[in-house]
Amino acid sequence: MSELIEVTVNVNSEEYRRSVEPRMLLSDFIRHELSLSGTHVGCEQGVCGACTIQLDGAAVRSCLMFAVQADGHQIRTVEDLGTMDELHTLQEAFWEAHGLQCGFCTPGFLMSILPVLEENPEVSEETIQRAMEGNLCRCTGYQHIRDAVKQAAEKMVAGGEA
Amino acid sequence: MKIEGEHLFNGSREEVWALVRDPEVLASLLPGTTDLKQLSESEYEGSITLRIGPVTGAFSGKIIVEDENPPESCSLVAEGEGKPGFFKGTGDVELLEQDGGTLMKYGGEIQIGGKLAGVGQRLIDMTSKSMIKQGMKSLDKVLAERTGKE
Amino acid sequence: MARLIGKPLKRNEDPRLLTGQALFVDDVELPGMLHAAFLRSDYAHARLKGIDVSAALEREGVVAVYTAEDMGDDWAPGPPLVIPPPTIEEVTFNTRTQVPLVKEKVRHAGEPLAVVIAESRYIAEDALDDIVVDLEPLPAVVDIERALDADAALVHDDLESNLAAHLVQTKGGYQSAREQADLIIKRRIVMDRGIAGAMENRGIVAYWDNKQQYLTVWDTTQSPIPIRNGLAGMFGLSEHQVRVIAPFVGGGFGPKIMMFYPEEVVLTWATLKLALPIKWIEDRRENFYATTQERGQVHEVEMALTEDGRILGLKDDFIHDSGAYDPYGLTIPLNTQCHVLGPYDIPNFSSELHVVFTNKTLTTPVRGAGRPHGVFVVERLLDIAARELGIDPSEIRRRNYLPNDVFPYDNVIIDQAFANFIIDSGDYLPAMEKALDMIGYKDFIENEQPRLRAEGRRVGIGVVSFIETTGVGPYEGARVTIESSGDVSVATGVGTQGQGHFTSFAQVVAEHLGVKVSDVHMVTGDTAQFHWGTGTFASRGAVVAANAMNAASSIVRKKILELASELLDAPEDELEIEDGEVRVADVPRMSISLGELAQKANPLRGAVEPGTEPGLEATAYFGPNYGATAFGTHAMIVEVDPETMNVEIRRYVVVEDCGTVLNPLILDGQVHGGVAHGIGNAFYEQLFFDDNGQLLNASFADYLIPTSAEVPTIEVGHTVTPSPLNPLGSKGAGEAGAIPVPALMAQAIENAIGEAGFEILESPMSPLKLFNLYYGDKEQ
Repeated sequence: MSELIEVTVNVNSEEYRRSVEPRMLLSDFIRHELSLSGTHVGCEQGVCGACTIQLDGAAVRSCLMFAVQADGHQIRTVEDLGTMDELHTLQEAFWEAHGLQCGFCTPGFLMSILPVLEENPEVSEETIQRAMEGNLCRCTGYQHIRDAVKQAAEKMVAGGEA
Repeated sequence: MKIEGEHLFNGSREEVWALVRDPEVLASLLPGTTDLKQLSESEYEGSITLRIGPVTGAFSGKIIVEDENPPESCSLVAEGEGKPGFFKGTGDVELLEQDGGTLMKYGGEIQIGGKLAGVGQRLIDMTSKSMIKQGMKSLDKVLAERTGKE
Repeated sequence: MARLIGKPLKRNEDPRLLTGQALFVDDVELPGMLHAAFLRSDYAHARLKGIDVSAALEREGVVAVYTAEDMGDDWAPGPPLVIPPPTIEEVTFNTRTQVPLVKEKVRHAGEPLAVVIAESRYIAEDALDDIVVDLEPLPAVVDIERALDADAALVHDDLESNLAAHLVQTKGGYQSAREQADLIIKRRIVMDRGIAGAMENRGIVAYWDNKQQYLTVWDTTQSPIPIRNGLAGMFGLSEHQVRVIAPFVGGGFGPKIMMFYPEEVVLTWATLKLALPIKWIEDRRENFYATTQERGQVHEVEMALTEDGRILGLKDDFIHDSGAYDPYGLTIPLNTQCHVLGPYDIPNFSSELHVVFTNKTLTTPVRGAGRPHGVFVVERLLDIAARELGIDPSEIRRRNYLPNDVFPYDNVIIDQAFANFIIDSGDYLPAMEKALDMIGYKDFIENEQPRLRAEGRRVGIGVVSFIETTGVGPYEGARVTIESSGDVSVATGVGTQGQGHFTSFAQVVAEHLGVKVSDVHMVTGDTAQFHWGTGTFASRGAVVAANAMNAASSIVRKKILELASELLDAPEDELEIEDGEVRVADVPRMSISLGELAQKANPLRGAVEPGTEPGLEATAYFGPNYGATAFGTHAMIVEVDPETMNVEIRRYVVVEDCGTVLNPLILDGQVHGGVAHGIGNAFYEQLFFDDNGQLLNASFADYLIPTSAEVPTIEVGHTVTPSPLNPLGSKGAGEAGAIPVPALMAQAIENAIGEAGFEILESPMSPLKLFNLYYGDKEQ
């Protein structure tokens, strides 16, 4: 085993300090070291998008980074959105529009789409499409996800959430 | 996967033959080759580190030269095994006199397996071509050093 | 009674999934948990000469390394699942099932040779590199059409050939039909393999608690109860000592019902030995080798028709690729044989089936399970016949549909349940007419297509009908309990992989019990909660489990009314259950809540009278005599770019008839997902094996699952023909979306190309294959 390196990250506005092997993937770090298991791992090669999180506000694939690379950075995971009783607008829209089935890919979709809507919720269909293209879903055929994103965008525009 | 090609050397068939049958030259031929040992007149053993797209790793294996007919032709068998899977290649090399130099014609087939096949397959063709090109370039260089011809 | 069945309600399970609070197998963390990694063969076919694990054992953090030898007498090939009974005439079936770890011979690439158990997954994987394996490669059996050649290598040395099964099924007499025919269409049709591609790979956590003498297994299975029963049997435990939990499962699509995967057996064996929890999570590359696949078949087919396009007979001889083992019996190819008959009146049929072993990952049902192949075959032949006879593709189908008055219709041949293939009900024409109407078939053919063609654009339309046998037995059960809070708890044996069971089942229960759907709490897939049942497969949840819900909640309703009648001193027929309470109709003040009733039914003092039971609870089962058959029509408009042969789907219309709909929102989601999977099957997803059985595209970078860019908006319509076989009238729909897509896409692309002789006879296609097919023809 190689030597451990100390990592300090701010995840969902909370600071965590852990000593990890340099080869530990950020996805494993988030899931198993920090016990934030809402971030899922589907391919470990950056294709499926299930492990998408936000690093300093940008959507990134946590399976393509090492935990040590996140040292000193701000991370946001699905656990930072709404709670079960009070869902985030985007989560609420996924619920309303039946934008999830098995739900395994869902946290990745939420984290990929959210920065786009937060930047500007007045999105075109093309922008929505592009925001989704990097995430795979085997259950929904994507249509209800598109509907959900449209619904959320409309609500965010109306609510002045941008 | 099939490999086929030719390369024109600026030297005689005897000079080219001597070159490719020299283990030190062989070792320098392929980047990443280490510990190349000659086991017998026609058998070499060693290891090579390869990087093919997302697949990297060391293979240990051997090269056997068969059906030698100096300085005209021979057959080669190369096989390696390691963490990323395995490869096995067979090929024929022919040296023909042409334009005062030597035309090397080579052709063969490579079988791959394991991660090398499953994940690296798409890039094998490209990688092997570039490795052959690099090998030929270093052969040219050594040949020029030996013969003094540019 | 408030109508809740049929409402597009949002799902009870979603808030947990949306907030990352739902438990998936890889989320299970236990104190002292170890991690397993499997050493897998790089060769597809090889003799195991030796295996040296000593270096791996020395690595720091490694707890154990096991090979087949270490398993001793516990090493055994897996139990066969669905072996044809000997009562079926002249069937040959050679049972050869998968092994936990390779002992003598590797039969497909990725087959496990050894397992490392270590303190972390990282260490376990490091230790795999320390193991030295001596494998002697053997020639591999890859091409299914050459698997039975005299000189083919043998996948199983003790068999005379690679024949796994042989079966001939007939209906009427094909030869005489052929002699009367005006037209014979004869073709070779190929369907190749793909993966199921669930986003969650497989995973297991197994823990033997030695003090409690209790085994708990979290497993990404579609079938927790049979896994529990099987593991108990294999390791000499009582079923009450084993709890199998299929928590939230990230997509199933068939392969997660395969039993038993080597990993399920090995992890259980290892935890029984070590008495510590062990986790194994498959990675995506393993998934491409170790999780079952489907679709490889080659058909030699013939259709005999009259000059007006009526089918006189059909002959379909085909080879089915079983892969290295055949635990799943004949399910897939029997489905194929049944679905070749489709919704059509085909009086004479003959089908000879050869199932062959190959050195490839085993095939077991994947969404569609043999049905897309059958549909592809019959629909392709109808398209070709229509062209030869100058009949419109929709018209030739219309002329051949089974008429409405024949149901239940006995197709004589046997189906996957080894019973006669009887279609319970059907009304095919309205579904097709609705689809034609939705897509604007007539207008497209008469106006739009000629107009666009005149501009040089290659646009085409397709329309394809299909049936889907669903909801097979044997049975499922449910236990419905009114809790003292007034909420309802429900337990059932089927697991859930995203089908919305927590909601659609709750709708059935809530409808009977007058409560809110959100007050019905569903437990699925936990053998400690409900321990009779089979599993989630064959599009059967909405049929078999939902009808068990229906039966159990009817009994509870009866109990509620009996007790309330006594307490409120009012006759039962004057009572109504609404908003969680029982009221005397027209006397709103006279009421009692369900919670209070539940308490009264389970008192702390007094005796339970003979012949009664405490509580407001009932367990009931439902087992249909045979499956309910759903059907529908899909239609699409495509545009083909003649330079790249890329195909753009411009419209996609589905008309689905799955009888009574429990939740149309969930149903549409199932249909969308199925179509997306079908689009992958038809045009993007194919596994490529080389002559040595090496898989050449074992990653999502090389194997293309459709993204949102490839899946168009799908317009869904419905017709409703309830099944007479169950009280709800429901039929399954889980696989329907995927079934007709390859056939449909082939027809639409041919129509877009619009040139005589251009025929698509294989699936999947791809832009490259289309290009070669089209321009290859041009050169000749």
